[in-house]
Amino acid sequence: MNRTFPLLLAAALILAFAQGALSQQDMKTLAPAAYGKLTRPAAQFNHDQHNEKAKLEECVACHHGGKDGKQDKSASTEGTPCADCHKLKTGGKGTALTKAYHKQCIGCHQAKGKGPVACGQCHKR
Amino acid sequence: MNAAYEFVTGPLAWAAWGIFLLGSAWRLYSMYQLAKKKDASSMAFMDWGFSLRSIVNWLIPFNALGWRKNPAMTVATFVFHICLILTPIFLVGHVMLWDQFFGISYATLPDNVADIMTLVVIGACLYFAGRRIMQPEVRYITTGQDWLALTIVLAPFLTGFLAYHQALNYDLMIILHVVAGEIMLAAIPFTRLSHMVFAAFTRAYMGSEFGGVRHAQDW
Amino acid sequence: MGIAERLIEDVGLRRGVSKLTPEKIEKIVSAVITGETGARLKAYAETCMRCGLCAEACHFALSHPDDPSFTPAGKVHQTMGVLLRTGGKVDPEFIYGMAQLAYTECNLCRRCVHFCPIGVDTAYIISTVRRICHKLGVTPQYIQDTAHSHSATSNQMWVKDDEWTDSLMWQEDEAREEFPGLRIPLDKEGADIYYSVIAPEPKFRTQLIYQAAAILHAAGADWTMPSEPGWDNSDMCMFTGDFEMMGRLKRRHFESAQKLKVKRIVMGECGHAFRSVYDVGNRWLGWRWHPVPVIHAVEFYWELIQEGRIKLAKKFPGPVTIQDPCNIVRGRGLQDKLREVTRFLVEGDIIEMRPNKQHNFCCAAGGGVINCGPPFKNQRVAGNEIKAQQLAATAEKGVKTVITPCHNCHGGLHDIIHHHKLGMELKFLSDIIYECMEKPEA
Repeated sequence: MNRTFPLLLAAALILAFAQGALSQQDMKTLAPAAYGKLTRPAAQFNHDQHNEKAKLEECVACHHGGKDGKQDKSASTEGTPCADCHKLKTGGKGTALTKAYHKQCIGCHQAKGKGPVACGQCHKR
Repeated sequence: MNAAYEFVTGPLAWAAWGIFLLGSAWRLYSMYQLAKKKDASSMAFMDWGFSLRSIVNWLIPFNALGWRKNPAMTVATFVFHICLILTPIFLVGHVMLWDQFFGISYATLPDNVADIMTLVVIGACLYFAGRRIMQPEVRYITTGQDWLALTIVLAPFLTGFLAYHQALNYDLMIILHVVAGEIMLAAIPFTRLSHMVFAAFTRAYMGSEFGGVRHAQDW
Repeated sequence: MGIAERLIEDVGLRRGVSKLTPEKIEKIVSAVITGETGARLKAYAETCMRCGLCAEACHFALSHPDDPSFTPAGKVHQTMGVLLRTGGKVDPEFIYGMAQLAYTECNLCRRCVHFCPIGVDTAYIISTVRRICHKLGVTPQYIQDTAHSHSATSNQMWVKDDEWTDSLMWQEDEAREEFPGLRIPLDKEGADIYYSVIAPEPKFRTQLIYQAAAILHAAGADWTMPSEPGWDNSDMCMFTGDFEMMGRLKRRHFESAQKLKVKRIVMGECGHAFRSVYDVGNRWLGWRWHPVPVIHAVEFYWELIQEGRIKLAKKFPGPVTIQDPCNIVRGRGLQDKLREVTRFLVEGDIIEMRPNKQHNFCCAAGGGVINCGPPFKNQRVAGNEIKAQQLAATAEKGVKTVITPCHNCHGGLHDIIHHHKLGMELKFLSDIIYECMEKPEA
C-alpha cells in the first residue's frame, strides 16, 4: 500500500503532462470547460499552426503571468490553462476570461495587422 | 481585411457617432432657437404635464384612436421600434466591442432571441415597404426620402443577420454591416429618421395644446 | 388622382390666379414660409413618416375611399409638400388647385390629430397654405366676400351699425309680447354677461337672439349687448388666412367688452368663433389667454342648469342624437357638459353616433368650407358620406332630432340630411330650452 501510492502519483503526473502536451498539439478550438454551454461557436485555434504562421518561439508571448490584475510579461505560464487565472467573472481585479481571450488575440492581431479581428473570423460556424 | 476592419470600427465609427450625437444636438439646438424666434405663440403653451400625458398615452399600444383603427400597423410599429432599439444595444457581439474598446460591459440578449428580433425588424421593414407599394393611401404620399429612410434602417439588420449566420462572404459582410450601421447613425439627424430626435417634441406640443388650450385628448 | 382633376370654377379663385406670375408666387411663398413659420412647420414636414395612418381619420378620405388624394397627408403632399420641395417655384394653375383644396377640402377639424403618432398638426399646415393663398389674393369668392365685410364693417354679413341695433330692438319688441319685462340691455356698463353672437344671427337667424334674450331673462341674468361694432365674434378672416384682419377683429371684440367693463363674454352656439377667440386670434395678437373671460353657450347653459336657473315646463321628446362640433369638443372638451345639458332637456334616449365625442366626424362645413359657397356645395356634401351614414344609423333607431350646438354644423348637416332625405331636424340647445322652459309671464 505505501509503495503503490507514490507509483500511482507518478503515473498520474506523467499522464497529466502527457495529456497537456497531447492536447496542445491537437488543439483546434479555444473552449475551456469553464464556459459550460457556449454562446457563440468555439473560437478556431490551432496552437502549433498558429505559432508556426505567427513565427512565435516564446511561449510567454501568450502565456503571460501576472497578479492582482497586473500582467507580467516576463513570467511564462505555459501549461497553466487560461481559465485557471482568468475567471468567467472577475471580482474587480484581473481580466475576465472572455475579455482576456479577446484582448490577447485581437489585440495582437491588430498590432500585427494580421489575423482575425471580427467575431465570425474566429467563431466560425 | 484587417486594415479595412480597423478603419470602419475605428475612425469611421468615431465619425458616425460624432455625426449622430453632435448632429442631433445641433439640430435640436437650432430647432429650439428657431422655435423661440418664430413659434413663440406655440411655445407659450408648452407644458410638462400635458406633454408627458400625451407621450405616455401614445406609447400604449391600441390606446390612441389611430392605433386602434390600424391594428396591423400598430403591432408592426411597436415591435419594429422595440427591436430596432434593443437589439443593437444588447447584442452580445456589440457589448463585446464596448468591453473591448472601452471596458464597458452590461447585460446581453441571448443570441437566439436577438436573432428573432433582427428578423422582426427585417420583417417589419418589408411590411412597411409592402404598404408603400400596395396601399394606395400610403403609395400616394411616399417619396424618395421615405424609401431612403427605410433602406438605411433595413441595411444594418440584413447585413448583421447574414454576418451572424456567416452566410455569403463573412469578411465582406461584417464590413458592410459595420458601415451600414454607421450610415444609419449618421443619417439620423439629417433624414426622416430625425423623428427619433424631434418626435418627442412635436408630440409634446400637441399634448400641451390639446391639454392646456383645448381641454381635450390628443389620442 | 389629385386636386388638378377635380377643379371647380370659382370667380374668386380664377380672378386671383389670373393676376399671378411665377415670380410673385415664389416671393410670397418664401415670405410666408421664412417670415411666418418656423420650427413647427419644419419639424412637421421633416418628421411626417408618410405612414398613411391619418387616412382613417378624415371624413373626406373615408367618403372617397378609393381616392388617396383626400387623406390628410395626401392633402399636405399636394399643397405644402410641393411648395417646400420647389421653394415656391410653381405655376399659377397650381395655386388654383392648392387654394381649392385648402379652402374647400379640409375643415381644419383636427380629427387627424388622434391618428398621428408623431403629432403632426395638419390643420396648422393647411391654415398656413391658406395664409399663402390669401397673400396671393387667391381666395374663393364667397368666403372672401365675408372677409371683406369683416374689414369694412367688423362683422361678417355687411350688417350696418343701425341695422344691428335695429335688429336687437326689434327682437326685444317681439319678445316683450311673450315676456313683458324682457329687455335686451344695450351697452350696460359692468354687466355680468356680455352676450356676443355671429353676424348671421341678426342677418337671418334673428330668432336665436330672441331665444337667447328669453333664456337670459328667465334666468334673471345681468347682461348686455354692445351697440357698436365688436359685437360680432365670428371670424372668416381666420379661415381665409387674413390674419391681420383676424387680429383686428378679435381686438375689437375684446375691447368692446372691456369698454363695457363686463365680467365675462358669453358666446352663442357657434364653433368657429369660439376657436378664433380662445385659440387662434388671441395668439396672433400675442396674448397667451383672452383678456376677458369667455364662455361658450353650452357651458353657460350647463352652469344655469347647475344653479337651477333654467326651469322646464316640459321635456323635449326624444330620442335625439348629438352632433359634437369640433371646435367646442375637440377644441374645448365640452362633450360631457353637452350631454348633461341634453339629458336635462330631453325625455327619452340619447342615441349616440359612433364614433362620438372628441372622436366625432366633422360636419364638413366648418373651417370656412361652407362659407366658400354654392360652387363647392356638391363636393362638400359628397365629402361627408360618412356623416350621412352616421346620421342614418341613428335615424334607423328612431332619431328625428339632431342636437347641434354650432352654426356651421347646422349648415353642413342640413345639406347632408336634405341630400340623403334622412328627414331629421336640427336643433340648437337654445331652440329646445326656449321651447321647453317655464314662461311664467306668457
